[in-house]
Amino acid sequence: MPADVDPEDYEDVWVFIEQHDGEVAKVSWELLNEGRKLADKNGERLVALVMSEDGQEIAEEAVVRGADHVLVADDPVFEPYRAGPYGAQFRDLVEERNPDIALIGGTHTGRDFAGRVAVPTYAGLTADCTELDVEEDTGLLLARRPTFGGDAMATIKCTTHRPQMSTVRAGVFDPADRDEDREGEIEHVEVTVDEDDAHSRIIDRVVSDVVDITDAEIVVAGGFGTEGDFSPIEDLADALGGEVAASREAVEEGWAEPARQVGQTGKTVRPELYIAAGISGAIQHLEGMDDAKTVVAVNSDENAPIFENADYGIVGDLFEVLPELTERVREAKGEEVTSDD
Amino acid sequence: MTQEWNIVVCVKQVPDADDVSIDPETGTLNRSDAAAVLNQPDYNAIEAALQLREEVGGTVSAVTMGPPFAVDVLETAVALGADDGMLLTDRAFGGSDTWPTSLALAKISEELDADVVVCGEESTDSSTGQVPPGVAAHNDWAQLTYVEELEPKPEDDELVAKRDIEGGHEMIAAELPVVVAMVFGTNSPRVAGLHRKIFAETDFEAEEYSASDLGIEEKVGLANSPTSVGGMDTADPVPREKEVFDDVDSLFEAFEEEVV
Ligand SMILES: Cc1cc2nc3c(=O)[nH]c(=O)nc-3n(C[C@H](O)[C@H](O)[C@H](O)COP(=O)(O)OP(=O)(O)OC[C@H]3O[C@@H](n4cnc5c(N)ncnc54)[C@H](O)[C@@H]3O)c2cc1C
Ligand SMILES: Cc1cc2nc3c(=O)[nH]c(=O)nc-3n(C[C@H](O)[C@H](O)[C@H](O)COP(=O)(O)OP(=O)(O)OC[C@H]3O[C@@H](n4cnc5c(N)ncnc54)[C@H](O)[C@@H]3O)c2cc1C
Repeated sequence: MPADVDPEDYEDVWVFIEQHDGEVAKVSWELLNEGRKLADKNGERLVALVMSEDGQEIAEEAVVRGADHVLVADDPVFEPYRAGPYGAQFRDLVEERNPDIALIGGTHTGRDFAGRVAVPTYAGLTADCTELDVEEDTGLLLARRPTFGGDAMATIKCTTHRPQMSTVRAGVFDPADRDEDREGEIEHVEVTVDEDDAHSRIIDRVVSDVVDITDAEIVVAGGFGTEGDFSPIEDLADALGGEVAASREAVEEGWAEPARQVGQTGKTVRPELYIAAGISGAIQHLEGMDDAKTVVAVNSDENAPIFENADYGIVGDLFEVLPELTERVREAKGEEVTSDD
Repeated sequence: MTQEWNIVVCVKQVPDADDVSIDPETGTLNRSDAAAVLNQPDYNAIEAALQLREEVGGTVSAVTMGPPFAVDVLETAVALGADDGMLLTDRAFGGSDTWPTSLALAKISEELDADVVVCGEESTDSSTGQVPPGVAAHNDWAQLTYVEELEPKPEDDELVAKRDIEGGHEMIAAELPVVVAMVFGTNSPRVAGLHRKIFAETDFEAEEYSASDLGIEEKVGLANSPTSVGGMDTADPVPREKEVFDDVDSLFEAFEEEVV
């Protein structure tokens, strides 16, 4: 087990490119954007790492999105994702090439295998960060993360161990822009893992098209107060041309898909308008919607904390308020169309 | 094949989230006066561990690393049905980040000859979710995180899990020994019976382990933690208008500009 290391021996900012069935998780492009800034500040290269059955195309896209160098490990053992092979391959590359910083999306996948890299390499691993920077004179990674369910922000540093690893929450950064003229080197690396590293086998995998609520300009979210009837939420979202979202409580009840959950353990959304109906406003929920420009709350309990965290609110039954709102929206939009004519 | 399973459940003591307040004068986090409770997601871990024991047979041992008074969360676990409890307590553990914390839990799991180690999804205080994969990595065991359901296959020395993945779920079979992290809220934790509660309060005694008992005194604590908390500040509340209306028309007028 390596003890303290000489930070001078470590350079480059690595970004893990998460893909499933050839489809790249958007957080990976967000990390290339943020990683580019860190690499430029420290005068280091931005290196992307792809593990898949055939990663050439994804590697080319990573170059277009800002990577100077892409490491590609191609092997059927990487499909579908399992912690064992991903962790072991990533670890072997880290030990061979000594990156300074390694960023991994804070998805279930990223948070599943990151520890299998950090533990054997004795690296510092910061969880679920929402802000990244480097310290001016030292070049140390400053990873900021919410704790106590979002009541406080902690800055985590890793002074004597390398690499400085972080999992980073999805949706908090903008994805890197594409630039077809950008050049970078793509390197297919030796695959150093096999089935023996897996300790597990996939029996079945059921994945439907994943909705993405993180880009929506308007979000209408329902909570436990809907008592399982999301139709008023859906109608209002439909009238507004927005996306339906939910609290964790509603997702756990099976009333909404997990991909629609907003909050600490769900998605971070940054819409112009966020309407929360039948949601109490627990700190873990607020964390995912704090960046909304305007927040509207509908709740039957005047003491619900959501009102303290909303711009506009109404104390009332969502089954009465939302249909009325939907009607107003339809009317207003209808008028808009006629006056434009 | 293993006849009965040695099941370890990891439970953490945390400040009661409802009690953690922000000092209005200093703007700092006030958690010293917060009651210490069992990490909410760990109730789901205990429930899953007890269900495994019901299906396969064996024992459930609750394990916690923390100060001496963390024995309370072991008592809670025993009241709910755990067979025994191990308290890893030592000044040497102070300031441990997830690297040494998972090492300590990995060592005790090895010591107890665990077949399955069950954890919660994450803690409610520092909520890294890194401890369960860390335990698995230290021992080079299999891991199953974000688990919604478990299906033991003792005849194959395997544990099958339904895992929550982006956009769906997967069924995955892992070799024993395996570390599991249950999705918070995924099962309905039982309520402790009175009999068991009295037993836990009066007769139960935790087994104590120091860092040197586990042979890791040189590898734990602040000095051996690769990360350190460089600073904490209270998150500034986002400024909001906080305007409450009596009728839908006024409410709609307030945000009409945003939508048309
Ligand atoms: C580790 C951890 C992570 C978590 N992560 C998340 C997360 O990512 N996202 C998240 O949302 N939560 C998360 N939570 C859970 C969070 O603490 C709350 O339990 C949850 O947000 C509550 O959901 P809710 O507001 O829908 O339900 P409740 O708190 O039950 O609130 C329901 C609200 O509906 C109102 N209501 C009832 N009927 C009506 C009606 N007819 N009309 C109008 N209003 C009505 C009630 O007054 C009440 O305020 C997490 C918790 C933990 C411990
Ligand atoms: C503000 C703050 C931020 C921090 N950020 C980081 C960070 O980014 N990286 C880092 O490495 N460390 C960090 N730490 C240190 C970390 O919180 C401790 O190591 C902690 O003891 C374990 O992490 P956790 O609470 O996040 O556990 P999690 O991994 O969230 O817990 C998951 C499960 O593991 C089990 N478990 C966890 N701890 C114990 C325990 N002591 N005893 C028994 N079972 C347990 C429980 O089943 C629990 O449900 C931070 C600490 C603070 C105060």
